[in-house]
Amino acid sequence: MNRIGTYQLFVMVIMFHIGSTPLFQLGSKAKQDSWLAVLLGAAAGLLVMVVFVMLQQRKPDASLVGLMQLAVGRWAAAAIGLLYAVYFAYQSMRNVRDFGELTSLSLLQNHPKWLIMAVILLIAWYTVVNGNEAFFRTTQLLFIVMLASYCSLAILIVSNRLSRLSMLRPVMEEGPMPVVHAALPDIFSFPFTQGVIFLVFWKYVANWKAVRRASYWGYIASALFIVFMNAMSMTVLGPLAATSSLPFLEVVQLVQVGNFIERLDVVVTLLMFIGLYVKLTAFYLAAVLVLREIVRVRTKWTASILGGIIYAASFAERNNTIHLWLGLGISLKLSLVMQVAIPTVLLVLALLRLQGAERPAGAQTAAERSGG
Amino acid sequence: MFGSNKGNRNGNKSQPQARADGSKLEPLSPNLTASLQSIRAKLGNSGDVMIRALRSDAMPGLEMAVVYIRAIVEEDHIHQNVIHPVMGWSAPLEPATWMETLRQRVISTGATKLIHSIDDAIYALLDGQCLVMTNGFGQAVAAETSGGEMRSVSEPNTQTVIRGPQYSFNESMTTNVGLLRRIVRSADFRMKTITVGRKTRTSVGIIYMDQIADPKVVDEIERRINEIDIDGILESNYIEEFISDQTFTPFPTMMNSERPDTVASSILDGQIAILVDGTPFVLIGPATFFHFFRSAEDNYQRFDISSFLRILRYVAFLASMLLPSLFIAITTFHQEMLPTPLLISLASQREGIPFPALVEALLMEFTFEILREAGVRMPRAIGPAISIVGALVLGQSAVQAGLVSPAMVIVVSFTAISNFVTPQISMASASRLIRFTLMLLAGVLGIFGIMAGVLFLLIHMTGLRSFGVPYMAPFAPVYNQVWPDMIIRLPWWARVYRLLATSKVNPHRQQGGRPSHQKRK
Repeated sequence: MNRIGTYQLFVMVIMFHIGSTPLFQLGSKAKQDSWLAVLLGAAAGLLVMVVFVMLQQRKPDASLVGLMQLAVGRWAAAAIGLLYAVYFAYQSMRNVRDFGELTSLSLLQNHPKWLIMAVILLIAWYTVVNGNEAFFRTTQLLFIVMLASYCSLAILIVSNRLSRLSMLRPVMEEGPMPVVHAALPDIFSFPFTQGVIFLVFWKYVANWKAVRRASYWGYIASALFIVFMNAMSMTVLGPLAATSSLPFLEVVQLVQVGNFIERLDVVVTLLMFIGLYVKLTAFYLAAVLVLREIVRVRTKWTASILGGIIYAASFAERNNTIHLWLGLGISLKLSLVMQVAIPTVLLVLALLRLQGAERPAGAQTAAERSGG
Repeated sequence: MFGSNKGNRNGNKSQPQARADGSKLEPLSPNLTASLQSIRAKLGNSGDVMIRALRSDAMPGLEMAVVYIRAIVEEDHIHQNVIHPVMGWSAPLEPATWMETLRQRVISTGATKLIHSIDDAIYALLDGQCLVMTNGFGQAVAAETSGGEMRSVSEPNTQTVIRGPQYSFNESMTTNVGLLRRIVRSADFRMKTITVGRKTRTSVGIIYMDQIADPKVVDEIERRINEIDIDGILESNYIEEFISDQTFTPFPTMMNSERPDTVASSILDGQIAILVDGTPFVLIGPATFFHFFRSAEDNYQRFDISSFLRILRYVAFLASMLLPSLFIAITTFHQEMLPTPLLISLASQREGIPFPALVEALLMEFTFEILREAGVRMPRAIGPAISIVGALVLGQSAVQAGLVSPAMVIVVSFTAISNFVTPQISMASASRLIRFTLMLLAGVLGIFGIMAGVLFLLIHMTGLRSFGVPYMAPFAPVYNQVWPDMIIRLPWWARVYRLLATSKVNPHRQQGGRPSHQKRK
């Protein structure tokens, strides 16, 4: 596999965390304080990011499975690795489904979802087969497009005087508790601790010393950006933001320049396309990389089989309501196990093991318990 | 695997010392008549093989002969520098050293060589050399006398500029190397010659700047060319296809140019030029995607207009790839994206058109491609007929007959013209092929199809390499020193870095910085 540059990692951290989040209104439970909720979630997520980096620091050139082997035995590591592969594939599947639902909602009302999902998954498959080098470089190019689009949209929104800061007041009307409830665990779980995926990618980075800088700054930049976009949607739509399925789309639909530039929906669709593509491919690629380490099959085969499974699984949920109910409910909570609990336990175990290397048996059972 | 038979094959292609199968070469017979007989027989008694018997005053008893192939030598040259001195040589000498004397003192051409075998003799003849043979010696002297008719250096036909040198390569490699050497008068100018093609034995020259080009890339190119085993090389595209990193891609990974100044500027940037005897088109590699949007004239115009034109070329390339598909997608699936007056205007134009937008667009695009191909292939004299048929009959009448909408004609024409903006035709052709695929995607999936197609292309392109250089460099991966110069054309004093940033060899073109007289204020 080819090495990843520092700047490429930085871009990927940003792109991955941003994903398609700005299109939705995170933390709408906190009403006008949603941006505070996002900020809180991001701050909490930063702590977890520190855990991830510390874990990788134990052995910078180790893969996710390799890192687990530092803490637990070989078989336990393989078992947890398999669990992670399933989790990554599941997240990828959710993004594929999101993609199908949102595209047929906004762009292609009359097209069958299976076709749209098949196309995007085919592209993801092609990326995975081309390897992480092609993926990181493509993301680098998409980053330019995404940055330009968001910036121009933001400028248009502000210059159209759509944004009213009064929408954000009063700040913390009912005390801090609603903000905390909105942030933890939901926003904390999505998208801010999904960075667990970088435990798979970090080992490919050429220069480990720069990883911390790139990851932290990338994380902070994306968090601030998400907070900004969240606040902006809120200042435009106000209470309506909570009810819409794609609030950002509605914001953009209000933009009008002269009598000509008024249908910017396509830009939003483009952003959604890019964001979801990056996210679903990242998860897909991570699943393939983890899986390939456990069962030693060629990447092409692993990718193809896994792609088929993801595609099939994306039809498992009967409709969008179930998809959203699962995603916003149980899925968020269970993800925390994979995103926070296991890495933390692994880190603690690895640290303990480093001090007293004579207790592998105890470590193994603990890890298995948390894994199950 | 490859290394083991490299030596043999290579040897077979140039001056062979031993045959590919390892058997010894057939030696020249000391008997002149026998030798001439076997040379004639080897060449199938061709009528253009000239054998001139002569005797020299220096060795009155010896029969001698001069052999050459008429059409590929300069006969005057042979008369003056070979036959005349040999016949006129009168100084007495030792018979034993006659061949050496002949080679070193008598024959006055540029290069001479002693030849011992029939095969070497044949190769020398086919290269345009002439052989001087003497009865009683199992040797011949080959003298360099090649010549023949060759097109003179003329104006470039395909890569024209308004300001800048107005001459181009021709079909002779010797001339072409000379043109380059006259521009780059440096001792670092390097040339490696390889002979490729079992039958054509075409000379292929690798030209690069020592201390600037990446030696690993030079070696790799040499290795790949050596690996070619085909009977004939007629044009540089043969080489291009053989040595490209990937065959199954619409994108070219090597540029070509018929302009000596373009090639000179490329080798100064650290690229490597490959000259092929018999064609004016010189290959240049490694080349990234963005190299294909640079024209020689960018360097000869003011930087502001050059920058504008360069950006314009990128836009035109995108337009030539995307415009018809966007039109199809929007008119078929996403009418709501258009402002209402425009939508009404388009809808009224399309009223009565019997085809869906996709079919209409495909029809027009194919028509244009046919016209274009006809324009290239037809004899010059019928040119006006084609333009009348194309413009009037197919364009205007098709609209009047209600077969296609005027908007579609505009879209197709604009696309076609945009396509001609790309300076490198190979890249323009890539966008032609991609356009059709994207049109089909747009017809099925609308804007989503276009996005998917473009994303697919991006992934493909980021995975491409040209001799190890990532195709999307300097943007993915980013090379900070270089990328501004790929979007715009910086003023000359700001162009500090050579364009091929992957090479760590000597990256600086100049010290850089504003000229001193501009600094003082």
